[in-house]
Amino acid sequence: MALPALQLSEVLSRQDIWRGDRLAVRDGAAESSGFDALDAELPGKGWSTGALTELLPTQTGVGELALLWPVLVRLSRSGWLALVAPPYLPFAPAWAELSLEHLWWVRGVSAQEAAWVTEQMLASGAFAAVLSWLPQVESAQMRRLQLAVEGRRSLAFVMRAPTAARSASPAPLRLQLAAAGAGALSVQILKRRGPPRPEPLLLAVPRPLRGMRLKAPHHAVAGPLFSTLRTGSFSV
Amino acid sequence: MLWLALYFPRFALEVFPSEQPDWPAVAVWRERVCALNPAAAQAGIALGQRLSSALGLAPGLRVRSRETAREAAALYGLACWAGRFTPQLCMQSNDCMLLEVAGCERLFGGYEKLRQAALQALFEQGWSVRSALAPTPLAAYWLALAGDEQSVFDLPQLPAALAPLPCAVLGLDEARSKLLRAIGAQCLQDVLALPRAGLAQRLGAEFSVLLARALGEVPDLRAHFVFPEHFLQRIELGAAISQTQALLFVARRLVSALSGWLAVRMRGIRECVLLLEHADRTQTRLPLRFSEATRDIARIERVLRESLERLVLRASVEYLALQAEEAELLTPSSAALFGELPGSALPPLIDRLRARLGDAAVCGLQALPAHRPELASASTSRPAPRQTPVMAQRPRWLLARPLPLPEIAGAPQRDGPLNLLAGPERIESGWWDAGEAGALGELRRDYFVALTRRGECLWVFRDAEGWFLHGFFA
Repeated sequence: MALPALQLSEVLSRQDIWRGDRLAVRDGAAESSGFDALDAELPGKGWSTGALTELLPTQTGVGELALLWPVLVRLSRSGWLALVAPPYLPFAPAWAELSLEHLWWVRGVSAQEAAWVTEQMLASGAFAAVLSWLPQVESAQMRRLQLAVEGRRSLAFVMRAPTAARSASPAPLRLQLAAAGAGALSVQILKRRGPPRPEPLLLAVPRPLRGMRLKAPHHAVAGPLFSTLRTGSFSV
Repeated sequence: MLWLALYFPRFALEVFPSEQPDWPAVAVWRERVCALNPAAAQAGIALGQRLSSALGLAPGLRVRSRETAREAAALYGLACWAGRFTPQLCMQSNDCMLLEVAGCERLFGGYEKLRQAALQALFEQGWSVRSALAPTPLAAYWLALAGDEQSVFDLPQLPAALAPLPCAVLGLDEARSKLLRAIGAQCLQDVLALPRAGLAQRLGAEFSVLLARALGEVPDLRAHFVFPEHFLQRIELGAAISQTQALLFVARRLVSALSGWLAVRMRGIRECVLLLEHADRTQTRLPLRFSEATRDIARIERVLRESLERLVLRASVEYLALQAEEAELLTPSSAALFGELPGSALPPLIDRLRARLGDAAVCGLQALPAHRPELASASTSRPAPRQTPVMAQRPRWLLARPLPLPEIAGAPQRDGPLNLLAGPERIESGWWDAGEAGALGELRRDYFVALTRRGECLWVFRDAEGWFLHGFFA
């Protein structure tokens, strides 16, 4: 018995199939990242809901949260957010830009527990966004997380160690983040549903550069209190 | 009126927690088998058999002596559980209860759905059950007893429905059963066909009243089960149990009783305590906490499972008890018109995470009006609305304690010299708690925003002791 002939155009119109030279289209299942240049490079024009997004910053403090900040601020107004096993203490005066009444923080858990918590949170569908720091997560666990979030309306961000870039991952979107001078973030797209993009994307992320009083730092060092300190040549 | 009879044919056996359900087991009363499981039936054992013949048929048979006190306690627990379906119920015998369900049909979407929900829940608790629906309590009981699991809704249909039942369901004494047999009555049809006056003369007036009650000709008044004021249920385990997994099975029966009891009283609990009594009369208290008042069985069970999995037993357990003291009024919520809100999945999830990870692991974040960075941020038990001014130039990550930075020629180093981008910002004083134990005390720091060679954006400060890293502008 012959299967009915399937038109290629019908196949290509499916949402889960895309041509290698074009970005996949995902209707209404993405949240704008707040960076137009980045949105243009992401399938669905933003962060995909119902799919894992893997972020691999080279270090803490390159601007990985600044990249997510616009979407977190927006989502926190109406939905629940969760931080799972962040590497340091979230400092409330800075996080208060978000609606803190919608932010859950899971702390003091082992690597295994952090993966479990993330899976439970994603599977519940109760969160608008879940940010997890899973530096030692295994591939099988990532697959479980991807299955848990599929079909949910949650954003799922997983922060991994930069060395993870060498191994395969079930996450449909993987971004490597590195600093590119003060105030810029270099985003290298390792994997996406669309054509490869070899050159990194440079984004201007807001950095704490306001009130730059310190052109020549040795003028600005505290006065007589630190007379014991040498206020000599800082390299700027 | 419509009565749902729930009859437990293996009650005498199933009140004992069983480790291996597939193994032949019987309960024995006066040296005769009074309840048996399917595996025992397969071995050829029958009800009423002598224990010695049963042991001959299945040498490895597990034998339990019937304990009526344990059965009464179990039926009491089941009656509490049944409160989730209806507040009006009565005990028919030591292994059957009757639920008046006419008033709660709509709530469950029909009688059959209600019945299925009840049977499913009983199956999950490990009970074998036979059920029947009938407009009079006795008819429902007889149908269930005979294993004729039908639903009769109208009185006129009742004689036809009862007709095929054997006379044994009547529960008559030996002399009167003999008499019925001698008359030639095999089933209820034969009995109902006989003239009632003659029956009354031969079998006694109370027999004719019994029939009249079953057929709804005279009212059958029942004493309703009275739900207790405070919930405390205690189950004696058949054998000392040293594995938490085996405890879970018994504890689930307690939880379902608690949930039904709460439903009748329209209440919910935030906390209940599972008491594990050991052989040496000491107790282990296992509190189960919930972030909001609840009586949802599934939710209580999930917390129970997480808590039991975390528990390390120091001795084997002989008794299990569940205690709920402060039940608060929980007005039933109307069913949502457009399905459940996404946020409603959150409280049960938080309960489960807390049960597994501990209360302190799942928290909210709060900004405090304090100028010293260590005191400006705190965790709260749950996220709470609070107006806090946003402070510019504050890092999103803070180190729990400042990390000393190496210094070369007065310049702070982290992978090479730091590039100071902004600052200094003086944060000082705190004399008021200086000297107090554990307090931060006086400080005098100049904070800078610094950039490392690799592009990390840091919050560093300098004080009299040198340079320190205190946070990350992530």
